[in-house]
Amino acid sequence: MKFQDYLKDHFTPILLFFFLLLFLFCLFLLLKLSLATNIFILSLITCFFLFSFFFNYFKRKIFFKEFLSILEKIDQKYFITEMIPTANFLEGKLFLQALYEIDKSMKEKINESEKSMKDFKEYLELWIHEIKLPIASLILRNHNKQEKDSKELEQIKKIEEYVEQVLFYVRSEHSGKDYLIHECDLNTMIKNVILRNKDDFLTLNISVETKNLNKKVLTDAKWFEYIVNQIVSNAKKYKKEKDSMIHFEAEETEKEIKISIKDNGIGIKESDLPKVFEKSFTGENGHNKKESTGMGLFLVKKMCEQLGHQVEIESIENEYTKVTITIFKNSFYNVLK
Amino acid sequence: MKKILVVEDEASIREELKSLLLNASYEVETIEDFTNVLEQLLKIECDLILLDINIPNMNGEVLLKEYRKVKETPIIMVTSRSSEADEVLSIGYGADDYITKPYNPTILLLRVGAVLKRSEKAYDHLSYHEWTVYPTKGILKKEEEEMILTKNEMIIFLYLLNNLGNIVTRDDLMTDLWNNDEYINDNALTVNISRLRRKLEEMGYMDAIETRKGQGYILK
Repeated sequence: MKFQDYLKDHFTPILLFFFLLLFLFCLFLLLKLSLATNIFILSLITCFFLFSFFFNYFKRKIFFKEFLSILEKIDQKYFITEMIPTANFLEGKLFLQALYEIDKSMKEKINESEKSMKDFKEYLELWIHEIKLPIASLILRNHNKQEKDSKELEQIKKIEEYVEQVLFYVRSEHSGKDYLIHECDLNTMIKNVILRNKDDFLTLNISVETKNLNKKVLTDAKWFEYIVNQIVSNAKKYKKEKDSMIHFEAEETEKEIKISIKDNGIGIKESDLPKVFEKSFTGENGHNKKESTGMGLFLVKKMCEQLGHQVEIESIENEYTKVTITIFKNSFYNVLK
Repeated sequence: MKKILVVEDEASIREELKSLLLNASYEVETIEDFTNVLEQLLKIECDLILLDINIPNMNGEVLLKEYRKVKETPIIMVTSRSSEADEVLSIGYGADDYITKPYNPTILLLRVGAVLKRSEKAYDHLSYHEWTVYPTKGILKKEEEEMILTKNEMIIFLYLLNNLGNIVTRDDLMTDLWNNDEYINDNALTVNISRLRRKLEEMGYMDAIETRKGQGYILK
């Protein structure tokens, strides 16, 4: 609260006071009071006025200064009502009371929507576990048939993939404690993803190369496999006609392990590159292929952030796309071990 | 023949699992009444249990914990809950492996095979006719004679040998190869099988690997 602003705000009473002074001065002249008495009385009144003016000013200034500094320090601004001092002037009291009520109604609203979100999430997780049963049953049925129907299996796997996307979307949006970071074997996780995509790699004629994957990393295996699977399914989708390959490689330094997944597909246009991690962004490649939801890489980024990994993408159109996930080593964890 | 007990409340999956395991020449028993699962489990003698976490009336993890207090039979947990915490907890309670639904059936069989192998106390002495197999060295031996197999040939040969007399599909072989970090394509598989055939011929076994059109191969 600046003094100038306060002055401007109290322009009317100040103006009235000067009129009062002028009026009294004239009145005392008319009453033939001596000039000295006149000035003495008027300066006495002015003193009282100034005193009450500054008293009020500082009371407000101290209150608002404290209020604003607390507001700046706290992360969730709406918790301000829990921290502020009481006001010792009427407007302040009214202001705080209004704030309490506004805050209370907002907190109730937030609780309500958090609860309904939680219910919805729980229901969705339950539903996903339920829907996995018929999917599992269909896959087994297909396998047990004398003549395997690979087209049918392909469709079932697509259903499975879309169902899984919902699960991980819900988990990454409202995570809380849905992941568990511990030491995982990188080779096993990558192998699981490769095995999942084995049929596609074979029918699409994509050759698979791995290098240097015998490492342990700190992550959640389920989440990590999902992340890698998303990147792999992009590589499958945006491959070139001939000689396709996908290359998995890990590089270890003192502080981190970088896992790169590189394909020799159609690549990404330079202008699209900065936007590929945005939600629902499909870009030029997506427009040409109908099956793009723009969710895959968005989830990759989001889940990496939750796990504390870094993800980067580089690409040259018509040459390659390379996604690199950086997993940091935790010295604290090593101490605990 | 190894006996596997399937504990799964979803009838359709139970039946399909049963025929999958029967086709892989295991003996299969199932539980259909879920009132006293623990008692039933303890009563049935078997080599391996496939246990669903979400069976009625009881928490699979609690069941696992209780069972482990009494018996050491290998258990593979099968579940549709795909969270890392569930897995770590199950392994902590003494499960030997953990598979998430929906699973690749060939992988399931490989895991079952791996767990069974691990649980056998003495190392399974592998042999083919008069030849002794040394998988890690990649050789077959008969007295003074020796035959060297490449890694891929050995993986294929072992898979065929473990299913001696049964049909093995190309997809089964492919899955096992990929499971061993050998990401080869269809052509390479064909080449490897014909090389393996030639080596078996050199060893004196003509037409040891028979091709069943549209189905797969049989080692005799």
